[in-house]
Amino acid sequence: MDAYLIAIAIITAIYVLLALGLNLQYGLTGIVNFGHVGFFCVGAYTTAILSEHGVPLVVSFPLAAVLAMAFAWPLGLVSIRLREDYFAIVSLGFSEVVRLVATSERWLTNGVQGIAGIPKLFAGWLTGPAQSYAVLGLLVAFNALAILAMLRIVRSPFGRMIEAIRDNEEAVKALGKDPAGFKIQVLVLGAALAGLAGAVYAHYIGYISPEQFLPLITFQIWMAIIMGGVGRISGALVGAGILMLFLEGSRFLRDVMPFISEVSMASVRLGVVGLALILFTMYRPQGLMGDFTRK
Amino acid sequence: MTLAIQGLTKAYGGLHVVNDVRFEVPSGALVGVIGPNGAGKSTLFSLITGFLAADAGDVSFEGRSLGRASPMERARAGMVRTFQVPREFSHLTVRENLLAAAPGQSGERLIDTFFRPGRVKAEEAAIAREAAETIDFLRLAKVADVPAGRLSGGQKKLVELGRALMTGARMILLDEPFAGVNPVLIEELSVRIRELNGRGIGFLIIEHDLAALNKLVSTLHVMDRGVLIASGAPAEVLGNPRVRDAYLGGAAA
Repeated sequence: MDAYLIAIAIITAIYVLLALGLNLQYGLTGIVNFGHVGFFCVGAYTTAILSEHGVPLVVSFPLAAVLAMAFAWPLGLVSIRLREDYFAIVSLGFSEVVRLVATSERWLTNGVQGIAGIPKLFAGWLTGPAQSYAVLGLLVAFNALAILAMLRIVRSPFGRMIEAIRDNEEAVKALGKDPAGFKIQVLVLGAALAGLAGAVYAHYIGYISPEQFLPLITFQIWMAIIMGGVGRISGALVGAGILMLFLEGSRFLRDVMPFISEVSMASVRLGVVGLALILFTMYRPQGLMGDFTRK
Repeated sequence: MTLAIQGLTKAYGGLHVVNDVRFEVPSGALVGVIGPNGAGKSTLFSLITGFLAADAGDVSFEGRSLGRASPMERARAGMVRTFQVPREFSHLTVRENLLAAAPGQSGERLIDTFFRPGRVKAEEAAIAREAAETIDFLRLAKVADVPAGRLSGGQKKLVELGRALMTGARMILLDEPFAGVNPVLIEELSVRIRELNGRGIGFLIIEHDLAALNKLVSTLHVMDRGVLIASGAPAEVLGNPRVRDAYLGGAAA
């Protein structure tokens, strides 16, 4: 049970990292990114492939974030000026392209079979529970750094400008400032966090395949920030927690509903998350922590 | 002369919304554009400020041709607009709205935010003083730290004016500043505009409400169905039968 809880905590922390990135993009800047999982996927595959070729983790880890940024930058350059709903579609398409490339380019990614035997973090130094604790510690450190950086950004003139862009892009242009430049930077920063999350994920699970990077992941992160409170850093934290509570908690639904078969249970769990989202939008649209309406 | 509008034209399908409009706004002048609904005033404004691309014609400001420049470039050149329906940054406070408008902030670069916090802080202090003065000048002190989205329509127009001032604009283009504003605030706004004009800032004002505008401006241009039908001093222009016809005819229809 202890090991189970640590595992849950690790996955939650990975979701927090993803949610922090999306919150920066959508909550603070208003970028509707429906392709967050694409950057997560790039990060995971980058470090997995590099590790296969004997590149040490201290190198492959930062490269995972850098490569995710390197994907985000041209994507932003060509599409960030689109109206937000069109950008949403483009970003969703981007993440699907990433997944399909991971599926088809077998020489690089081993296709649908995926990459197995990705070295565990801290392997050789630590084993068993100590290793898990160390991974969790690393994630907490990454999250803490990300939150500190985010706070710095929110309180800076840059942060003020991205919130102004979220509130009214045309007015920003009328003041002589180009929203696109700010939005591209935010897209790239959020992608870096997703790439980093992907790297931790790959080394923690030890096996990655394209089907782990479905758009569903993106929408789960969206649910997390909506339930937690859009535009709030605490919202990303709390939201990822609630999401995990629903995803994992519904695992135990079977104890109270033994008449549901193992197979239908997966759908029931998704249904529970969906129901939670509906209830949230009906009764607490601002999310648990309140939305960006006031800092 | 500062702002020259040189034959701006915009058509949708066969309909000329703005047709070969040309006039000049001398530096530091207070000029109004009036016309009935659908005369093409707001479209003209968007053509001048680059929010719409003109089919023909050019705009030059302080001798520089801006006809192909982006809205951002035109604003940076010193010509800043407001909007008919206020576009405040609703979740930012009035003060933050003004701060956001200040040009050339190094704190808007991430690298400086993280690695040159001292410089960012010093700059921020300077623009904060400027914003505080502007807030006092516009009599917005009471709501300075209230999110701009909660203000009344008239107050939001003051915020937009404040933002335009913070950019250091030499020419401010106001799009129906008096629409939906209560009479007391209209008077207040007029006083501020006159005072700013006294400091050398030029204004081009589009307005539907004649009474408020003709007391304020020195020159009036009248538009009807996309063309300029009269120009001159307010009293003279309003006495022009063509103008009366356009206005009364428009109102009666």
